[in-house]
Amino acid sequence: MSGVIIITLLSFIFGLLLSITYYYLNKEDEQMKKIEAMLPGFNCNVCGFGSCKGMVKQALADISNLKKCRFLKPERLREIEEYIKAINK
Amino acid sequence: MNLFTLLISGIIVNNFILTKFLGLCPFLGVSDDERGTIGISISLTIVMVLTNIITYFLYNYVLIPLNIEYLRTIIFILVIASLVQLIEMVINHYFPKLHQLLGIYLPLLTTNCAILGAALLSSNNNYSLIETIVFSIGSSLGYFIVIYLFANIRERTQHSPIPVAFKGIPIALITASIMSLLFMRYVG
Repeated sequence: MSGVIIITLLSFIFGLLLSITYYYLNKEDEQMKKIEAMLPGFNCNVCGFGSCKGMVKQALADISNLKKCRFLKPERLREIEEYIKAINK
Repeated sequence: MNLFTLLISGIIVNNFILTKFLGLCPFLGVSDDERGTIGISISLTIVMVLTNIITYFLYNYVLIPLNIEYLRTIIFILVIASLVQLIEMVINHYFPKLHQLLGIYLPLLTTNCAILGAALLSSNNNYSLIETIVFSIGSSLGYFIVIYLFANIRERTQHSPIPVAFKGIPIALITASIMSLLFMRYVG
């Protein structure tokens, strides 16, 4: 009986450890995916950063880079700016 | 047992690859590339030392007081699998090139006999905590030395005149057996 309890407890502890580590290591990737979903997604390179993924990277470095996107509507621009400000706090 | 004796015997006399024949999968799989061997041995060292510390505490302070030593194989494998997954996540996040270099061989350390063998040997021989740590460091150092030498020898055999039927794995196995014969001189 104690064997069953010990193995269940240990598996639970290790599973918790693994999921917490995965969550904390991939937090930035999740945020970048969210921002990329808010962009138009045309990958046109009018901004000069290659693709929408490159724009996300540059936007996180300097928020004024977002204005270079020609197809970004003003409401979207405000949403993204608020999201980035909320992350950086 | 003397700590220095444990360290030296782990490297030369009780070598995991050439004397005990444990953990041969990375030995034959990664040893084409010299940098791959360094990556494999670093990950093996980290996994082996951490695993041995955790399994020491689990075996001596949880399994023995509750009289469930027969569960040590399952629990050791549970610890090894979780630790390997953790280390793979950390390496993937902080050193992506190393992760690409190791490829499939880092998760394969889960089923590596060397890590489970080291854990079972130190619990069989009732080593103390310091002896366990020194034993695992010595064993992984011996593993690294042998795999590094083997990688260099294999790189040289690629430019030597060898019959076509022997190129690749067959000449590697013959080389490994000759190395093992040399190391067997230290035993007994």
